[in-house]
Amino acid sequence: MTENSRPYGLSRRGLLSAAVAGGTVAAAAGCVGPGSTRGGRGSKGAPSDVLPPVSGRADAQISFAHWRAEDKKVLGSIIDDFTAGNRGSGVQQDISPAQDYQANALQRLKGGAVGDVLTAFRGAQFTDMLDAGLFTELSAQTFADAYLPQHSRGGRDDAGRLFGLPYQLVFLMPLANRDLLEKAGYADPPQDWDGYLDLCDKLKSRGKVPLAWPGAEPGNAGQLFNSMVMNNAPSDDACARIASGKAKVTDDWFLALLGQYAQLRPFVQENASGTQVEPAQQMFARGSAAMLSTGSYHMAAVRQLDAKFPIDLVPPITVDKGERPRYVGTHNATFILGVNAAGEHATTALRFVEYLSTPSVATRYANGTAQHLTVSGVTYENKDLRATEHWLKKRTMLAPRYQIEDIDMLNAVEGACADVLTGTSPDKAADAAQRVVDQRRRK
Amino acid sequence: MSAPSPVKTGPSPAADPPFPERVAHRRRSLRRRYGHPAFYLFPLPALVLYVIFFAIPTVQAFQYAVTDWDGYSADYDSVGLDNFGQLAGGDDLFSNAMSNSLKFMLVVVVLQTLFSLVLASMLTRNSRSSTLLRAVFFLPTILSSVSVAFVWKFIYDPNFGLANGALEGVGLDALTSSYLGDDGKAIYFLALTQVWFHTGQMMVIFIAGLQQIPRELYEAAAIDGVSRWQRFRHVTWPMIAPATSIVIAYTTIQSFKAFDLVLGLGGNPPQGSLDILSTRIYTSFANSEFGYAAAESIVFMALIALVTVIQRRTVKLTQSGA
Repeated sequence: MTENSRPYGLSRRGLLSAAVAGGTVAAAAGCVGPGSTRGGRGSKGAPSDVLPPVSGRADAQISFAHWRAEDKKVLGSIIDDFTAGNRGSGVQQDISPAQDYQANALQRLKGGAVGDVLTAFRGAQFTDMLDAGLFTELSAQTFADAYLPQHSRGGRDDAGRLFGLPYQLVFLMPLANRDLLEKAGYADPPQDWDGYLDLCDKLKSRGKVPLAWPGAEPGNAGQLFNSMVMNNAPSDDACARIASGKAKVTDDWFLALLGQYAQLRPFVQENASGTQVEPAQQMFARGSAAMLSTGSYHMAAVRQLDAKFPIDLVPPITVDKGERPRYVGTHNATFILGVNAAGEHATTALRFVEYLSTPSVATRYANGTAQHLTVSGVTYENKDLRATEHWLKKRTMLAPRYQIEDIDMLNAVEGACADVLTGTSPDKAADAAQRVVDQRRRK
Repeated sequence: MSAPSPVKTGPSPAADPPFPERVAHRRRSLRRRYGHPAFYLFPLPALVLYVIFFAIPTVQAFQYAVTDWDGYSADYDSVGLDNFGQLAGGDDLFSNAMSNSLKFMLVVVVLQTLFSLVLASMLTRNSRSSTLLRAVFFLPTILSSVSVAFVWKFIYDPNFGLANGALEGVGLDALTSSYLGDDGKAIYFLALTQVWFHTGQMMVIFIAGLQQIPRELYEAAAIDGVSRWQRFRHVTWPMIAPATSIVIAYTTIQSFKAFDLVLGLGGNPPQGSLDILSTRIYTSFANSEFGYAAAESIVFMALIALVTVIQRRTVKLTQSGA
């Protein structure tokens, strides 16, 4: 067939030319350097502007970016009251799933189009956002004084300047069924490692799984690491030292810790490495497991599964008999609230953070979401929150796992513990983890 | 087909038409030859989308791959081929993900092709029962990956799950497993889920291929007195070559692209035993290593191309020898 016989057909040559032209344009566009498409104001490491104490009215429409879909309703009612008291203002919740938020929030928020008020996970995300100049410095804001000082350290940079307010407080140590512990002869939790093993042994002999461990989910399985590290680590920054190369997974203290993990093998449920978190919660809620190795953030979920027994937090204290533990538990202060430096409505954003920081509003949020908060003066009405409120004043360590900000390094280090718990020898697991840490450091 | 001659005969040069008429004539001539210019606008939307969402990111991937860009800073350093060097020999996590990807792909391609072909062979006839069963087998394909992941999470749960429950129910306790928690086998259990998810989709392609085979060939084979296996080997198999190629190539690419199913079953990031190349690249991006992730993406792209080419050649060779 000749070209003239199909007068309205496209010639192959024409299409090819168009594709080549398109490719050339693409190549030219592709040659724009990395980072040249970024928005936002700060560059890496540059401090944001320090805003004076907020003084103006809240009268703009702002966006509040976070990942807590389960808190949407409570926050919605708090926002309604905020906007009712501030004519012309509005707060739109921009909610992403936690995993998406962790992976994409920095890119989405740096332009300032969404997230005038933003949140960050403690650890790598907060550090990266700080490096990107996303957080406005809050050091001059008086509402920052409303927070419990011992629990608000996580929102500061290396120089101690305040950029974010860790809003939620979770205790990352095993939940325990107090009834079962009492029946096993431990009305008071054991205070040393031998006591902990004895408790597990007694629970097992009574036909209970001492510790339900969701090994198939690294995020939840790794919470046990916090309690295991708190009294084994030679210093508070031991995990950060592993990440920086100043310490190794093969060091004696870590091998001792892995050895203790090996001692826990008989006390987790069968096939623990394949257990997801929901079945682990079920085992605990039904009373077939005496402890759940995750943390206080699962108390509400366990209650929803109809658990009626009294719950407490019982971390493994890994010290020898008679030795005084450095810490009696671990906590994490996360959901770090801040004001986006790239946002255009700083006054309204600051007023909203100020509103969230008032004790009465924080009380509504805490009881509505069944979580402890770092705001002082909160009144806990939820019986589990009340029962565990005393932990706010105890000597707990800021969760050490988040000192390792590299995801792969963290997975390797925690993975070594998980591997030992499911049968690998401590030396072999430590070597494999250290190899990954070394490779990641070389990058 | 002959083309009408664009050359005019008749009037002498002295009687040439006026200029506007000549222009109009020339336009008509060009239109006959190349088509109406407006038709060139039709591929434009597709081209624009292709350039923006495929061509530019692909070119940029090559550019980022030689930098240490973190994904948000204005500053970055050129690192030459260091990222590729690290991938080649100094990254156990990447090697592990590549090994998992290849195992996953192999199991999915073999089982998915086999099961879909068997199902298609049994459901080729357009009877009511066949149509109903086709719909049943196709059903998983319309589910979202996340839903499938949730369903299989509970099937694989070692304590309350259906799989161990069924095995124990029929007295096969020795075969119970921790499934996704078994480091050595987790990737194969993941592959089984993927096979369940997409076999129905591939079955439809095979059915279309099988229905195109002329009945006369089977009649001739019957007259020759061939066995069922010989009929399949020498008639069906060569005649469904195009469908087989599509199924294998599509399944290969689909298995390399598996992502949300893995995150749904294994968490984010998944444990090493479930980490495949797509999730590894995502973890590198999440770890603020855009340059390194871009290098991983390029290796990934090259691997898919290589495997696809090898497969196509293998299928061609197998079927030409049939």
